[in-house]
Amino acid sequence: MKCDKARELMSAAVDGELTNRENQAFTLHLQECPACTAEFEEAKKTKQIIQEKIVRFKAPQSLINSIMELSLSGTKEPSDSPMID
Amino acid sequence: MSRPDPIRKSSPDTKKNPLSTEEQLKQREFQDEAIVHINALYNYALHLTLNPHDANDLVQETYLKAYKFFGSFEKGTNCKAWLFKILKNNYINRYRKNAREPGKVDYDLIKDFYHTIKDTRRDSTETETDYFHSLLHEEVYMAMQSLPEEFREVIQLCDIEGFTYEEIANMVESPIGTVRSRLYRGRKLLRVQLEEYAKKFGFNTEKDR
Ligand SMILES: [Zn+2]
Repeated sequence: MKCDKARELMSAAVDGELTNRENQAFTLHLQECPACTAEFEEAKKTKQIIQEKIVRFKAPQSLINSIMELSLSGTKEPSDSPMID
Repeated sequence: MSRPDPIRKSSPDTKKNPLSTEEQLKQREFQDEAIVHINALYNYALHLTLNPHDANDLVQETYLKAYKFFGSFEKGTNCKAWLFKILKNNYINRYRKNAREPGKVDYDLIKDFYHTIKDTRRDSTETETDYFHSLLHEEVYMAMQSLPEEFREVIQLCDIEGFTYEEIANMVESPIGTVRSRLYRGRKLLRVQLEEYAKKFGFNTEKDR
């Protein structure tokens, strides 16, 4: 495997999306290529930072309530409900 | 999403009776399958619109539509992915006109947004990383926002929402290979941004701390 192929597989390797065969070839390449190894480590850390640092906001209770109501009122709403298409 | 409405096949007695058994079953299913994802949907909507009011509307519309078309949801597939796709379509139809141009970032707007929303309810896992842990949430957030939309989107769907490449490909209507390369390039761009922030705020990026 060459470096550009390894880079093509880089994100999938980070995300565990490689096939077995790809994974083998990729691992083999890393063993002989410090540059790709470094890049792989950086990509993993970048993902980790995003996962840890990005704040996840919760839906306000008022929104949750209104969605629950919506599903409870079901199809009783008039057929000309304001759907946006 | 312009499929025929599978639900409103008018059976004569549902008009008078509150709800048919079938309808009740659907409601329960909808709650178990769809409403459980409301936090993720709201979070995604907020990141798309940068505005709590619009995010609220977007999530409402999404659930309204999802409920209407719940019959066309394939059981056993990922309901969260299905909902995200509906939300994304709604967003494009409604808000895209006013959306930021890719690459053009209004940092003040984002900063303001971040600060207004920061103290509201949130759900973050505050663990230390060995790397860049001195970066603040806000800086990582700003770095994300500085990415062109096509990159930001796949990173968000993959790293924050945990969708598979196949699900993401379906959502962004591109082949899996495109998702792969966007993630690769997006993470690289993000990396550069983060390093810049770290430098700007006087952190040594070479070593830990
Ligand atoms: Zn290499």
